[in-house]
Amino acid sequence: MNGMDVDQPILRLRDIRKTLPSGRRLLEIDELSIHAGRCLLLTGANGIGKTTLLKILSGLEPPDHALVDCDGTHLLWSVARRRFRREVIYLHQEAYLFDRSVTDNVTYGLRGLGLSRAQVAERVQRSLEWAGLSHLAARNARELSGGEQQRVALTRALVLTPQVLLLDEPFSGLDEESRSRTGFLIQRLKSERVGVVVTSHELLPMSGIADEHLELHAGRLVPPTRSVQRASTGHRPREVMAPGEVAYFDTKGGR
Amino acid sequence: MDGLGEATLRALYLLIEGDGALWNIIGVSFSVSGGAILISAPVAMVLAFLLAYVSFPGRRPLISTLQSLQSIPTVVVGLLVYMLLSRRGLFGDLHLLFTQTAMVIGQIVIAFLFVVPMAHGVLAAADRRAWETARTLGAAPWRAMLTVMTELRFGLLAVAIAAFARIITEVGTSIMVGGNIESFTRNIPTAIALETNKGEFAQGIALGLVLLVLALLLNVLLGQLQGKGEMR
Repeated sequence: MNGMDVDQPILRLRDIRKTLPSGRRLLEIDELSIHAGRCLLLTGANGIGKTTLLKILSGLEPPDHALVDCDGTHLLWSVARRRFRREVIYLHQEAYLFDRSVTDNVTYGLRGLGLSRAQVAERVQRSLEWAGLSHLAARNARELSGGEQQRVALTRALVLTPQVLLLDEPFSGLDEESRSRTGFLIQRLKSERVGVVVTSHELLPMSGIADEHLELHAGRLVPPTRSVQRASTGHRPREVMAPGEVAYFDTKGGR
Repeated sequence: MDGLGEATLRALYLLIEGDGALWNIIGVSFSVSGGAILISAPVAMVLAFLLAYVSFPGRRPLISTLQSLQSIPTVVVGLLVYMLLSRRGLFGDLHLLFTQTAMVIGQIVIAFLFVVPMAHGVLAAADRRAWETARTLGAAPWRAMLTVMTELRFGLLAVAIAAFARIITEVGTSIMVGGNIESFTRNIPTAIALETNKGEFAQGIALGLVLLVLALLLNVLLGQLQGKGEMR
């Protein structure tokens, strides 16, 4: 997880194995790399293991076996997962927001980082402005629309300046405007050197966003049967401003 | 009916005039049961959380056993605590038998066995995304646990209130390990049993009215909490 070198992956896992309690081998992946500022699109049939793979990457679910390349050494997943904390963040298909205000939701992950109250408040305010959510700051997050909730969840993750963001079906259930906004946010993440992994049934919203497309089939990552239009700007995309967004926010602004 | 009406009027008079003995009994009930629920509920809820969220060998049999013990007769708990606290018991040297502490211990056991399976039900049925979201945002396990419990606060508070209602009305353990000593270990249920045996219905009815009002208030509170939980 060292890296700002473009060609070096920020996270590389090898020999990912996962078997279901029924005995069915769900994942049998030899290698998976995530690069800074690039978006990897994962597709595959329902129940094929996409969500499980994302949860393994984020440290939420244990694999049977997985090795993580970490600073030049191979660590067992169980050892390396502590280094993932706050660096690799997973977002559910339907964002889960705590039963509290938008500000409190965005503040949640910043507690325990040793920041002063003023620093926390400043980072939260900047990130809310970045996502165009300032006017909703005092509202209970559960009362917002689906698209707004998705943006709150993204902002709550981004304020932690993660190196990798794992988005599980981020376009599911969103209207056209919210999809467009989510797409713009993913582009912005890439421009700020965040490695992004997206699972999606739909290829169209990922058109021009994904840099790499792999399909999960029979537990393995294979080239897709239907491919998405790749991002034209390679792995150093232009900065993109979403309509209505007010300011550029450098998520790598330090802790 | 005249006797019942007259006794009820006398009971109301005793309550209103602030009869010292009567209010002492009410005080013992609330301090013993309040102390027991404050000690047992947090511990029971942490255990319930572990049962719901952590996999370990023997978890399912343990859950089944605790579910079976939920409706254990209070006299059986009283008997077990009595045996532990009696002179020849494991903790006989502590001389706790027939004290309020003994009553608190007995009610802690009853409340614990009630809260664990009930809270486990609330926690096991909850949305797992709360835990996963807290963890992926970097929360340590204990903080993620507190977050999940805060999300489920209405359901868990309802469990604690139901447990309080159970222990403040139980008579078996209180009479066995408390001894029903006047102005010391006599609480509402044991006093009602005693006064009824003596034919002093007024004080029994007065104490019964206190329990009825308490039950009514707790039910209203439970209903409101359940309503809030459902709205979210």
